[in-house]
Amino acid sequence: MEATATPRTQEEVKAGTAKVTVGEVTLRKFELSDVDAMMAWASDPEVAAFCRWEPYESTKPLLAFLRDTVLPHPWFRAICVSGAVVGAVSVSPTSERCRRELGYVLARAHWGKGVATAVVRRALRDVFADLEPEGLRRVEALVDVGNLASQRLAEKAGFRREGVLRRHYWHKGRARDMVMYSFLSDDPLPE
Amino acid sequence: MEATATPSTQEEVKPGTAKVTVAEVTLRKFEVSDVDAMMAWASDPQVAAPCRWDAYESTEPLLAFIRDVVLPHPWFRAICLESGRPVGAVSVSPTGDPCRAELGYVLARAHWGRGVATAAVKRTVATVFAEVQRLERVEALVDVANPASQRVLEKAGFTREAVLRKYSAVKGIVRDMVMFSFIDTDPVPE
Repeated sequence: MEATATPRTQEEVKAGTAKVTVGEVTLRKFELSDVDAMMAWASDPEVAAFCRWEPYESTKPLLAFLRDTVLPHPWFRAICVSGAVVGAVSVSPTSERCRRELGYVLARAHWGKGVATAVVRRALRDVFADLEPEGLRRVEALVDVGNLASQRLAEKAGFRREGVLRRHYWHKGRARDMVMYSFLSDDPLPE
Repeated sequence: MEATATPSTQEEVKPGTAKVTVAEVTLRKFEVSDVDAMMAWASDPQVAAPCRWDAYESTEPLLAFIRDVVLPHPWFRAICLESGRPVGAVSVSPTGDPCRAELGYVLARAHWGRGVATAAVKRTVATVFAEVQRLERVEALVDVANPASQRVLEKAGFTREAVLRKYSAVKGIVRDMVMFSFIDTDPVPE
């Protein structure tokens, strides 16, 4: 359950509307008891649109996903706003020790408030602190060319846009063009 | 035994050394009996330098490589000239997605500078999409410090898409790699 959502950004908050105060955003490990909170985004077709998975229709397969993929995963975190689980962020191994791949997903109710941007910055800081001693140099994110909000998010979080990889990724019956972003261990974290 | 070769450049072609045409370069499947021909490049430290593998010192491990990797591989071809004897290899290897595969090639040093690798890559992209189901993209990663290999791909009609920073460790050093691709709707040059 990787990648990304947030089709709206901070800039789209209407003029005259005070910036929404986001409750405290924290990251923690998942537990099986989080399955019901996960269903909020996992069952949402708008959230699933740019993700590899189809919207979940029941908690049973989601529980299996939690048990078989999330709990044993080397770096998979629940995104919490004021203590409630509203999404997930992961940094997944690749065939190379020097690079891992970022993925994130957020319940639609929390789009457009800057939650995902804050989460990605936190995740970069934490994952390099944990894994740079083990050789991690690069965290990359692949974003569908059609997913503009996720591209904006990557840029705001300080990722460098490297190029478009054509027909790179098989997604729901089609080969898609993906934008490749990277953040290196010695890139400056914004803010 | 993937990727890249020809650290020499076109400019180093000696006068009188003709460039090959695509027609003179053929691709065929490897056989175990090709091991001696393979040793010509597999044992050459200059050929191995930009590759992930170290130069072979005997045919025994190379035989194991042919048997365990080359023969069962979905698309691994010997690059042959008029004699039919292999002078290099080209491979197109599966990845995590059925639509994309990764190109690799290697050529014996005696045949550098004559366009053999370029011709072999052109033949590859002209045929591999029809032969591999669901394949739409062939990609190649080349060290930023290997301009000759980058030129092989450019001349073969690949598109340079991006420099991927600190992408891959080759022989213990993390390198910046240039990503090239050829998709099934791209025109094969010439």
